Amino acid sequence: MDNIAGTKSSLVWAVNIAVVVLVLLWTIPTFGLLVSSFRDRDQIATTGWWSSLFPHEASLRFRIGDAETQRQEGEVFVIDGSVFEAGGTVSAFGTSNRDPAAHEPGEVVDFGDGISGTVNEDGSYRVTSPVAFEGRSPRLFVTSVTPPRFTLENYDRVLFAQGLGRAFLNTMTVTIPATVIPILVAAFAAYALAWMEFPGRSLLIASVVGLLVVPLQLALIPLLQLHNAIGIGKDYLGIWLAHSAFGLPLAIYLLRNYMVGLPREIIESARVDGATDFQIFLKIILPLSFPALASFAIFQFLWTWNDLLIATVFLGNTQDQLVMTGVLRELLGSRGGDWEILAASAFVSISVPLVVFFAMQKYLVRGLLAGSVK
Amino acid sequence: MTSRFLAARFLATAAAALLSGAAAAQDLKFPPGEDSRFNWDSYESFKRDLSGQSLKIDGPWGGVDKALFETVVAYFEAATGADVEFSGGDGFEQRVMIDVEAGSPPGIAVVPQPGLAQELARRGKLAPLPASAADWLRENYAAGESWVDLGTYAGADGAEALYGFVYKVDVKSLVWYSPENFEDMGYEVPETMEELKALTEQIAEDGETPWCIGLGSGPATGWPATDWVEDMMLRVNTPEDYDAWTRNELAFDDPKVIAAIEEFGWFARNDDFVSGGASAVGSTDFRDSPKGLFTSPAQCFMHHQASFIPSFFPEGTVVGEDVDFFYFPASAEKDLGKPVLGAGTLFVITKDSPVAQAFLEFLQTPIAHEIWMAQTGFLTPHKGVNTEVYGDPTLKKMGDILLQADTFRFDGSDLMPGAIGAGAFWTAMVDYVGGKDAATVAGDVQRTWNTLK
Repeated sequence: MDNIAGTKSSLVWAVNIAVVVLVLLWTIPTFGLLVSSFRDRDQIATTGWWSSLFPHEASLRFRIGDAETQRQEGEVFVIDGSVFEAGGTVSAFGTSNRDPAAHEPGEVVDFGDGISGTVNEDGSYRVTSPVAFEGRSPRLFVTSVTPPRFTLENYDRVLFAQGLGRAFLNTMTVTIPATVIPILVAAFAAYALAWMEFPGRSLLIASVVGLLVVPLQLALIPLLQLHNAIGIGKDYLGIWLAHSAFGLPLAIYLLRNYMVGLPREIIESARVDGATDFQIFLKIILPLSFPALASFAIFQFLWTWNDLLIATVFLGNTQDQLVMTGVLRELLGSRGGDWEILAASAFVSISVPLVVFFAMQKYLVRGLLAGSVK
Repeated sequence: MTSRFLAARFLATAAAALLSGAAAAQDLKFPPGEDSRFNWDSYESFKRDLSGQSLKIDGPWGGVDKALFETVVAYFEAATGADVEFSGGDGFEQRVMIDVEAGSPPGIAVVPQPGLAQELARRGKLAPLPASAADWLRENYAAGESWVDLGTYAGADGAEALYGFVYKVDVKSLVWYSPENFEDMGYEVPETMEELKALTEQIAEDGETPWCIGLGSGPATGWPATDWVEDMMLRVNTPEDYDAWTRNELAFDDPKVIAAIEEFGWFARNDDFVSGGASAVGSTDFRDSPKGLFTSPAQCFMHHQASFIPSFFPEGTVVGEDVDFFYFPASAEKDLGKPVLGAGTLFVITKDSPVAQAFLEFLQTPIAHEIWMAQTGFLTPHKGVNTEVYGDPTLKKMGDILLQADTFRFDGSDLMPGAIGAGAFWTAMVDYVGGKDAATVAGDVQRTWNTLK
């Protein structure tokens, strides 16, 4: 009896390290996504998010200001400016794709056709020509060290996307009833399945568990057919029913398993005192089941919040009917190449479920029953 | 109180946004009668009264394309008074199947794969177009007969009829390059397939990398290679062989097909010819691969891809200045003319109504083409339009490639059954660039096809 409560196992440090490593492994991808959401598309395409945190060397191709920006200085025409938008240090430059790092900064280089110019270390350039510049202006190849650069533009695009406000309302109109309805139905069903004696109860429980494995994709066409036949068509009522139906098996299963674990003594003493089943359910079971109800509510809310498939099938795809996921998907471009938008919209759409989670958390307390029975 | 006030304000803003959106849809992008380049007569003569009727159109276009198509729809609405609602976006193929099967189809579906339209027709879910539409296509579209064939399928009763009307075409036989990089090295744009191969070898000899090829596309990985092989099919074999191939009358493992696959392999399976080496081809994302044209120093000099690719070029890239394209050339030795590979969208009627028929008639007017031509991303084989309308010289140049084509063939993988064209063919191409030989992968595809018969 050495390791009774109070003495620490000598392997605690190993457990701690393992936990820290797991937590790191778990959060690094999310952190990477967060960093990516502040980078622009070209940055994401060329370098990994980890290199964006430090100054790094990059080779860039730059076209000097076009012919309209030239000005005449005595005999020569000049175009000048800076290759950087946000600062950096030039370590070499060139004028041709053949040798992009041919010259030291400050060196005056012949571009051909009498044009000559130079790039300084701070990125400023000056190109001169004896005749006026026309058409396509020359290119510069610059090797430089650029400081980390982040942008809020992705969030700007996501948050102020056309129709996002409307889509937010649509999503709320879908998710709130689609979370409340299955909880209401499932709580009654779970009480009946847990505490009311009737023939075929076990069979009913087994079939509910069996329904858990039915993939919802299988039911899309028949269900929509049914909705069309009974005149619901594609509307909110239809999507509430669909979400509720798809959520019910899990809800009943979760709640029933929780309720069956409540102490028999409480329910029996209530019966002895003359309470009806409905009173027992309302006054005893429901308040005691709050942790289970809250956890299912979080599940169902997340699932309906993130859903795109059911929404497009049962609600339609027009501008007035789109849910948030639909609008965000549209932002990704018709061929889905815009990773920066994907990253930013992930963090935007995660915000509401986070609020729901923390709001519900206080109900997830254990020990509601502590001391109720001896 | 505050939160209620906020919610009310939010609602009001949303409602205002909705209203202004509805108002904007009524605006016509180019005021009728003003710009003389447009064929306003066709707009005026189309006018009819369909007010009070409504039409739903579903299609694959989201984002920019959706907004552009809506500018065209606005003219139809203005000309007829009908109410048209376009609900486009990703996942169209699944959506339209579910809607049609469940009995709530849109009025018109915009189908990018003829294979899908054919399947819908076979199940009896499409309304045939009037015979006059076929005659119209023959007369007014360049290479008209091939467009009629493309939209003609057997219905539920087995009788063939025209179901699909092609509107909006993409050209796939394009090679993108940076003119200045070519100038720096002294390269010329090749006119024939032989010159293209010589140029490829020349670039490799100079110590540079000629091609950027990337097949990655998530679950659709491999499709960019099908475009290569289809282009090669048209350059080593006759168009008749190509048609037979898409219908599997010419076996997938026929030596003619294997020859085409190996032509693609000549470019893609040589470490010196592709950026990152042959092993990188299968894993590079097709959206990232053209970026090699713009790096410093350039990772590659050429990129074979369809007309949509400029949307994946780095921001600020100017087509025609920073980057340009040339026609993926035909072989000079073989007398196969100038074949062009392309794709397009078919308009089919999924729920017959006078307004749906009227909309397809509207698509026959030059103005329906010119409105989109004058903006971006639209090509048309319509011979009656004024090509001066094209929004930028690049589009006009692509349009010319289309109009000058001796042969136009639709993307073969879209014509094949889904399990092949969007399955076995893709994986075969990934296997092929991964090192398996052409005969083996072609044999694999043919075996899958046999199981479908």
